[in-house]
Amino acid sequence: MPVYFLEIIVVALGIIMLLVDAFVKLEDKRSIAWLGMMGLVVTFGLLFRVQWPESTESPFWDFYTTGDQMALYFKGIAILTTLGVLIMASDYSRIVVDQTAPPEKGAHPQSGLGEFFALPMFACAGLMLMSSANHLVSIFVALETVTIAFYVMVAYLRRNVGSLEAGVKYLILGALSTGFLVYGFAWLYGMTGSMQLDEITTALSGDNVNVAGSLFAFALILVALAFKVGGAPFHFWIPDVYQGAPTPITAFLSVGSKAAGFIVLLRLVDPFLSSGELVGKVILAVTVIAVITLIVGNLSALPQKNFKRLLAYSSVAHAGFLLMALACTPTTSQAGEFLSPAKVIAFYLGAYLLMTLLAFLVMTAVRVKMAGEELSSYRGLAKRSPFLAFAMIISMASLAGIPLTAGFFGKFFVFQLAVQQQQWFLLTVGLVGAGAGFYYYLKIAASMFLSEEDPKGDHSAIPVSSLSRIAMIVLIVLILIGGVNPSIIMGLLP
Amino acid sequence: METAITLNHFLFVSGVLFAIGLAGVLVRRNLIIIFMCLELMLAAANLTLVAFSRFNLKDGQPDYEGHVLLFFIITVAAAEVAVGLAIIVALFRSKGTTDVTKVDTMKY
Repeated sequence: MPVYFLEIIVVALGIIMLLVDAFVKLEDKRSIAWLGMMGLVVTFGLLFRVQWPESTESPFWDFYTTGDQMALYFKGIAILTTLGVLIMASDYSRIVVDQTAPPEKGAHPQSGLGEFFALPMFACAGLMLMSSANHLVSIFVALETVTIAFYVMVAYLRRNVGSLEAGVKYLILGALSTGFLVYGFAWLYGMTGSMQLDEITTALSGDNVNVAGSLFAFALILVALAFKVGGAPFHFWIPDVYQGAPTPITAFLSVGSKAAGFIVLLRLVDPFLSSGELVGKVILAVTVIAVITLIVGNLSALPQKNFKRLLAYSSVAHAGFLLMALACTPTTSQAGEFLSPAKVIAFYLGAYLLMTLLAFLVMTAVRVKMAGEELSSYRGLAKRSPFLAFAMIISMASLAGIPLTAGFFGKFFVFQLAVQQQQWFLLTVGLVGAGAGFYYYLKIAASMFLSEEDPKGDHSAIPVSSLSRIAMIVLIVLILIGGVNPSIIMGLLP
Repeated sequence: METAITLNHFLFVSGVLFAIGLAGVLVRRNLIIIFMCLELMLAAANLTLVAFSRFNLKDGQPDYEGHVLLFFIITVAAAEVAVGLAIIVALFRSKGTTDVTKVDTMKY
């Protein structure tokens, strides 16, 4: 099966879900989400049966990479994230129904729920296209498909001021970063005379490169992508948007949009790294952003009281580690001897997917029962729901990077790269950041196990749907397997 | 005296447009004006694309690849405005204002 069928299938699935929502009389609209989940599982299976084209003469292949194992890996990440988001969304549906506009008389009591399940599918198709995009036009279109779908999803809870506020903030800053991105693309096109990334690489590694113009283009693109992945000082929208958005959408933003941002960043930085005159300055710029991101992300997470805000800063901190890997790119003469940053970033993102989805699954369960996302809602969780507390402990341990979890190897490979490239300053900042991470991740563990629960509150166990229980068990097992034998994930990479 | 308009003139104008748009986004407080300034930034990028496309000759012909991206940008910007204005209207209905300094329930 040709590789681009995957995107077509996911888009078609989204359209079918919308049609079912509009024309089929359903008792419970959550069956639309189940339809989507089944479709995504099938699509994930099809990833392993992809055939690469024999001839790439058609102009289509200027826009789309071919023979690219890394792209398949990132498509897998996109599909699994969307699957997790749909599981959370079906648990979260009661809140969505409560906080969208009241249904008109005679309308379905769950009206408006169908789109909430269909929109992630379109975002998923955008993410999948982004991981194969090979041309400025296809990168731009894929990125915007995802971003516009996210605008709607973040502001979905129309009767919740927080969600609308998050939506507006995301809209303005997302559009601002789009402005930077297209202006950067225009300059990159002007400097190289091409939009195809391979041709841009050839042009930039040639002799007569316009250094000032190319660096200007690079700076604009770096600013735009730092917005998308949450690199400081362009991260200021992240805490607000993460806090205000519906919880499943926050999970989608923090995993899917970060993974996609990084694959675009990897692809766009690559041509600049092949140019002898630009490479030094490019690495310096990425290093500066990585250092600021590591410091800001880890330190701002320390005093947080809201769990979603804490995870938002933690996602900034993780972006810092990923940028750190990018800043440790070996020069072309050394390539092949060392781990490649692309591979390290891909592994890190895979581990990040597992642990963040697990944290958000637990958070969704607690949110539905407790109507709160403050850390105080988690007090005494270990007594009420030992399984949820255990899942949260595994996730936090992995996010902090404790050995025997997949997160440990993610950080380990990043630090290994820094040592190989002798980036000692970056390594120091990274180690200090990882140390700070232990404090704020384990603070959550302490509040679940050590503190007494609120005497006035409800002490009953928190209900977990069987679907999310299965998802949590799978994620816990994968995190532990990845922490014992990382080569299982590494083996999927080229 | 006849002076030809060169690539630099176009780049200068588009640079000024981009700067005006960016300054507007940072300084103005009304969401609708901010949104207009964002569109101005996209227009700057479009002008740059067309200018480079006209002056980067390939076999004596302008290189039309720039125009292709331009049309995609226009289309995407239209979609973005449709969604964006809907969100702004929803915000106005719930808060009765489009002043960004009043949209501040979440901080630190």
